[in-house]
Amino acid sequence: MNRAQQRSSRDNEPMPERHSPFHQELDQVQAEVVRLAAMVTETIPRATDVLLNGDMAAAQSVIEDDDYLDVLSLEIEERCYQLLALQQPMATDLRSIITALRLSSEIERSGDLMVNVAKAARRMYGADLAPRLRGLIEKMSEEAARLFKRCVDAYAERNAGLAAALDDMDDRLDDLHEDFIQAIFESYQGDTMDLQPAVQLALIGRYYERVGDHAVNIGDRVQYMVTGWLPEHAGAARLEARARRSEGGPMTGELRVNGVDPNGGPSPS
Amino acid sequence: MTTALALLGVVVGGVVGTTVALSANRRRLRGFARRIEELATRRGVSTEVDSGGSDELERSVQLVISALSLDERRADEASEIVGRLRGALDALNRGVLVTDTRSTVLFCNEAATEFQGARHGEALVEAAITEVLAAAVGGEVMQRTVDLFGPPRRVLVVTASPLVTGGELVGAVAQVEDLTDRRRLEDVRRDFVANISHELKTPVGALSLLAETIAAETDPELNRRLAERMVTEASRVANTIDDLLALSQIEGDESSEYGPVAVAAIVAEALDRVGPAAAQRKIHLEVVETTAEVAVLADRRQVVSALHNLLDNATKYSDEGSTVRVSAVRVNGSVELAVTDAGIGIPTKDMERVFERFYRVDQARSRQTGGTGLGLSIVRHVAANHRGEVRVESRLGEGSTFTLSLPAAMTSQPGGRD
Repeated sequence: MNRAQQRSSRDNEPMPERHSPFHQELDQVQAEVVRLAAMVTETIPRATDVLLNGDMAAAQSVIEDDDYLDVLSLEIEERCYQLLALQQPMATDLRSIITALRLSSEIERSGDLMVNVAKAARRMYGADLAPRLRGLIEKMSEEAARLFKRCVDAYAERNAGLAAALDDMDDRLDDLHEDFIQAIFESYQGDTMDLQPAVQLALIGRYYERVGDHAVNIGDRVQYMVTGWLPEHAGAARLEARARRSEGGPMTGELRVNGVDPNGGPSPS
Repeated sequence: MTTALALLGVVVGGVVGTTVALSANRRRLRGFARRIEELATRRGVSTEVDSGGSDELERSVQLVISALSLDERRADEASEIVGRLRGALDALNRGVLVTDTRSTVLFCNEAATEFQGARHGEALVEAAITEVLAAAVGGEVMQRTVDLFGPPRRVLVVTASPLVTGGELVGAVAQVEDLTDRRRLEDVRRDFVANISHELKTPVGALSLLAETIAAETDPELNRRLAERMVTEASRVANTIDDLLALSQIEGDESSEYGPVAVAAIVAEALDRVGPAAAQRKIHLEVVETTAEVAVLADRRQVVSALHNLLDNATKYSDEGSTVRVSAVRVNGSVELAVTDAGIGIPTKDMERVFERFYRVDQARSRQTGGTGLGLSIVRHVAANHRGEVRVESRLGEGSTFTLSLPAAMTSQPGGRD
């Protein structure tokens, strides 16, 4: 009885969704981006499992399943182009579509990185990994998957605060990556590992670390979608200030806004 | 409902008619009244209405009123039935979704709501649901298995079939079934059978090979070495069988004597037993903290054997020269016995399964350590017998902590009861 009452009150609430066909399409694009990201969040532990257990059949399926990811990401792109061309959206709607476009490429690239992990696992088949290395791989994988989930949450909830926090969350993965490289050196010097798997492992560490960077990029893009402001503007502003200080020196000629790391480079003061 | 409205329309028409030209419309009114009566009979409305006069208009209005109230009653009944069916579907622990012929979801029960507008792994389940529903609307029965890596790991089966009422396709119905637990049970059972035959067959096979070699060998020195190997293999089988017997005894929980046992005594006895093995591997055993006056309500033999098993494992899976720590701390109504090592650790995915009989994280390594593969299941059963629990925290390459939590006994404190 109680539940029935609850339900009927739920039914009477106005539908929260926007009803124009265009907005329905936008919602669908968002749902597809979320699904694309879910495929990657699933691939991260899967690829790690392949790496730690040397299951070559699973490696093959991780590599092959990436094709689904490519297909869906193309589909999203196509849909976005259509919406742009046919609806000529403005303001938030325009930013939503552009964000979906950017996100799908960031997500698709992250999926490729996990395919790289599976491929590297194939190349180092049979190599015996020290427990500490295995532990760090597990941790990096968990951290990468966690970051990826959080950036999808930020996107689905249009939560600019959470999106901005991703950069700080990524520090943990970066630290793990450093520890991992150190552990590879120790394992190699302690004569428990050959050079070939050591190099493969270093690359693998980099793949996980890059997934975290993609999650941070997605966070930046989500901030842009919600607020219209991109964190990279901070870097661009710094560069401009530096250029102005040196009175239009040669710097202005190579002003690259997008390639600038907002935290990199010497501080302007 | 529509019929009732039609009836009403007819009556209103009749009323207007009568006021405008009463006598001229008498015949038409009579015609309406007949139609109302016909319709009412067909709808199952009782035509025996209590009309004061023989006025046809009044009689018709009353018929319409009773038709409308009958409709209302029926609608109420119908919505009650719908409510009840919804409640029944919500009570199911499998997800159910119903769509129309354009695969728009019309109904989704409580269990299926987690796959609506979902994210992460559940978004993939949602995609599978959409896929099977689209096929079902086309008249096809379709099934998809979604194997989620998580964490947590989940196995879900999504099935959809066309929904047909009265020979007509009106939509589709999808079901989402969570097979995670069943899958895990199947794994446990399959692995148990495989593992027990492996644990027993390997040493027996070795024994028969060694015996054959001895039979054909004449060199007494070699024969002596082979015989020594036979003793090792035989004791391995004996250990496994001993542990199996101990396990089944603990499982049966027979001949157990429960009473207050001092924690300090349990720790001391278990340490004493593991001492030689630890000394051999140069492992330092350290008692971090024991609340000495605390006692647990337990069967002494069982708890000592549980703690011994934990210590034994910690010793086996640690590097030579490292330290194993034991602590006994009182937490609310229970005592937590914790054994911490700095050993190789347990991968996350095996964490839940290490308490299974014969479960091995790494087959090759455990053969060297010479365990029977039953130690942790003994610990788990002891914990269950004492209404306590056993937990594990572990990191690969950093070590593990096993915590055995047992209910505390009050006797050793002055004024305490039981």
